[in-house]
Amino acid sequence: MTFLGDIAHVLATADLWRLTLEAAALLLLPALGGVISERSGVVNIAMEGMMLTGAFFSVVADLAWHNPWAAALVGIVAGGLMALIHAVVSIRFRADQIVSGIAINIFAAGLTVFLVNRLYGLADVGHVGQANLLPYINIPLLDQIPFLGRVLFQQNVVVYAALILLVIVHLVLFRTRLGLRIRAVGEHPQAADTAGINVYVIRYGAVITSGLLSGLAGAFLAIGISNTFVPNMTDGRGYIALAAVIFGKWTPFGAFVACLIFGLGQAIYDNNSIIHVSQYLLSMLPYVLTLVVLAGVVGRSIPPAADGIPYAPENE
Amino acid sequence: MGQARLKFLGFAGVALMLLAACGSTGGGGGTPAKTYKIGLVTDIGGLNDKSFNHLADLGLEKAKTDFKIQGDVVESKSGDDYVPNLTNFASKNYDLVIGVGFLMQQAVGTVSGQFPNVHFSIIDGAGTDANGKDLQHPNVQSLFFKEQDAGAMVGVIAGMLEKQGKAKKNQHVISAVGGISIPPVDHYIAGYKWAATMEDPSIKVLVGYSNDFTDPAKCKNVASSQISAKSDILFQVAGGCGLGVLQAAGQASVYSIGVDADQKDADPSVIASALKKVDVATYTAIKNVVNGQFQGGALTFSVANDGAGYAVDNLQLPDDIKAELDKVQGQIKSGGLTPPSEKSW
Repeated sequence: MTFLGDIAHVLATADLWRLTLEAAALLLLPALGGVISERSGVVNIAMEGMMLTGAFFSVVADLAWHNPWAAALVGIVAGGLMALIHAVVSIRFRADQIVSGIAINIFAAGLTVFLVNRLYGLADVGHVGQANLLPYINIPLLDQIPFLGRVLFQQNVVVYAALILLVIVHLVLFRTRLGLRIRAVGEHPQAADTAGINVYVIRYGAVITSGLLSGLAGAFLAIGISNTFVPNMTDGRGYIALAAVIFGKWTPFGAFVACLIFGLGQAIYDNNSIIHVSQYLLSMLPYVLTLVVLAGVVGRSIPPAADGIPYAPENE
Repeated sequence: MGQARLKFLGFAGVALMLLAACGSTGGGGGTPAKTYKIGLVTDIGGLNDKSFNHLADLGLEKAKTDFKIQGDVVESKSGDDYVPNLTNFASKNYDLVIGVGFLMQQAVGTVSGQFPNVHFSIIDGAGTDANGKDLQHPNVQSLFFKEQDAGAMVGVIAGMLEKQGKAKKNQHVISAVGGISIPPVDHYIAGYKWAATMEDPSIKVLVGYSNDFTDPAKCKNVASSQISAKSDILFQVAGGCGLGVLQAAGQASVYSIGVDADQKDADPSVIASALKKVDVATYTAIKNVVNGQFQGGALTFSVANDGAGYAVDNLQLPDDIKAELDKVQGQIKSGGLTPPSEKSW
């Protein structure tokens, strides 16, 4: 059982928790998008595809312009445009939202590979120089705090942004009139409509916002953590974010806790050079943790009442 | 990769049927004092891959200047191109058709069966059937490498730097990030660990895997965790994924070591690269054909025949380390030292 000792040793290092927070922030962005979209009544399983699109276009832009900020913006907008497709299909045309989401994920995977081949041929995409990546920023003074400074204040700029967005999304959803409207539309769109809320505008806005957030996550992955685009590089993170939404009972902070648990599993796996147990066993850890927590701790998750049901006013 | 392979399997099947339908004429014999025709087929990496394909082309170019040969190269745009590209050369009675990379194993297996009179060489693989079983066609020559030899040479550099306190952290900890635990990867790491321990017995060698060969983000995190555990020389053995190792080392201001080809330009942190000299292997295969010494089966390249080795990159090595490298290289050549290939971690 030496590996338990190894894990205990690893858990005591600040770097493990720094990696955990970084991995969690990457999942948190699409998860926040999922919370907003589903709270408004539109099921969104397309975060994976939106992230992938954001990752690809941010790399293309960064290689062309050598400006990570403009590139991140391009990634955000690309994610938003993917979301717009989902919005039009599922809100305007009232198609099945699961089918639309799956279609977008498959479309994004195909589109990005196709464009890689078109733009860069068969060689790899090319690497963004160190100076043109989204930077890691040490917060002065705070980063000197033992342990916590390393974990919290020596992070990528997008990690700070994700944490700020977490608070903003929470406040907007639960402390503002807009948030009340989003939730009303997701719970009982007919009643919201009767009360003078434009259900379509709210839902379009919510779905597109989920795309913007997922696009930012894609940019973070491609030009923050990594420095290039690789086909399918999101590697299921959008789906894990979706699990975090459900796991967190459609609340921003709940989703964040879920993301931290996934992130911890990932960070422990990344330490497989130090933990003496089969790396294959370790690679299951994030998912095993999920199953255990989902089954044992979270209990029943109840989605917003109108989640997944297209709104058609003439039905009333 | 799995998907691509599956697609490829389907295509190979169709291609086989087509070939059978056409009825191949087979390769013809050679006339004396002729110009030898050599065909090189790249895998999907293309000639600009800065690795295997590029090196194979270099070997062909060198052979062109040394021998009376006509060398032709065709790049494969996808896995579906392997069989037609190999067939194209074989059906024109080329004297040697070279396939670059183990991805082409099955294509070489298929086409070599169709053209028993044409010689084939394949880098890092054999001519196999759909299940990856070596068909052992007598007209196919496998060009293999002793990765542990190259790993050992860079292991000497890492071990010496640690012993002399010339690494960045001086904690006597180095590491390797493998893609997936498969034989070529583990051979490199085995040689690396063995040689580093030989030079600096107090050294600790961490070995991690990313479970991936393409995504730099995955390798980067494994590398970061090793740097946290005090590693200051990181050996990447994970192809494209491993570029994340070089990047992580650069960001943390520690040293890294590249793999397969010279990765000097990938990151300033790269102090050395462990080399598989695909150019030497290609050249040798051509030379054998020209001299009428082609033999089926495996041809292994190692430090002993200059088919594996190392490059010193973005670091000026002290003279005593250079001397030690020469000494160890000489001993491996003479058989005095034999780097192990087995996994010992």
